[in-house]
Amino acid sequence: MVESAAPALVAGDAESDRQLVDQAKAGEPAACDALARRHRRAAYLLALQLLGNRDDAMDVTQDAMLRFFTTLKSFDATRRVQPWLFTIVRNQVRDLWRRQQRRPGDAIGGSDALVGQLAAPQPGPEADLHRRELKERVWRALAALPAEKREIIVLRDFHDLSYSDIAQVLGIPIGTVMSRLHGARQRLRARLEEEGGRHA
Amino acid sequence: MPEPCGRTFDEALLSGYVDRALVQRDEQRVRVHLERCAKCRAVVEDLRAAREATMMSRFETPRDDEWSETPRTGSSRLLIGLGWPLATAWAVLLIGYALWGSWRETDNLIERLLLLGGVTGFGLLFFGVLLDRLKAAKTDRYREVRK
Repeated sequence: MVESAAPALVAGDAESDRQLVDQAKAGEPAACDALARRHRRAAYLLALQLLGNRDDAMDVTQDAMLRFFTTLKSFDATRRVQPWLFTIVRNQVRDLWRRQQRRPGDAIGGSDALVGQLAAPQPGPEADLHRRELKERVWRALAALPAEKREIIVLRDFHDLSYSDIAQVLGIPIGTVMSRLHGARQRLRARLEEEGGRHA
Repeated sequence: MPEPCGRTFDEALLSGYVDRALVQRDEQRVRVHLERCAKCRAVVEDLRAAREATMMSRFETPRDDEWSETPRTGSSRLLIGLGWPLATAWAVLLIGYALWGSWRETDNLIERLLLLGGVTGFGLLFFGVLLDRLKAAKTDRYREVRK
């Protein structure tokens, strides 16, 4: 296992994504490989944050990557790759839930499911310990939220997607992203307060 | 209608403020309100703290060698696409020929019944799975995925 934060994609990455997509469409294996390497970790993290289970997340990510490449011909290369891939991951997750007879309103089973996947802390000063505890509390509270609340928060706060990208991934009008996000954040805040006082 | 704290804008703007996603006019309204409202300021501080904790988190992810090989290219998919039907047809013909040969070579009723039972059982299993797959293909949600 390696340690990963959300891979930050900057403007230059989007431009080279376009080139890679064009090359992958032309059947260049190196371009497919580069696209897979660049995006699979973020796809895995989203799947993990929705499912809370490493093995399921791995399966979903592999399926999503395969789906991504089999539908690449019809992908508009002027659009961003990550929201498109996240849409596929989200659909794969929902398919898995349907097979497992779970609903998007269900929380992740086991409140430590996500916390257990956080990278081990490096030894450090007390301030780091406090930060670590706060992260664990936040992810424990996130795991307890219904998936539809959790997903909008992780898309914005962990993966740093813009409101317009979030609208694309969730298939909702951009005008409703802010209110949904705020509703989800308020649920998270209430959950954290239930667990024990202010979290700041 | 102003809120008890004097807020005259939708509460969701507080999240927009944390995300720096507001137009200048709304951002100004929120900032002015926050200067005199401790309750909304506490909300913003909490949202910001949770956002930062989420953003700064790191997770264990699979090593590069744990991922399967890169998804296939167009030419390999074509070859594999041709290979599977050919291999399947060969297997069906071979099994069919072997079963037909066995059927012809025996007059023993029990052996024929065993042969027939096996073929019928596998046939039913095969068609059961096939029906499930066809039903799943019709309700494939990826047709709804926006491109």
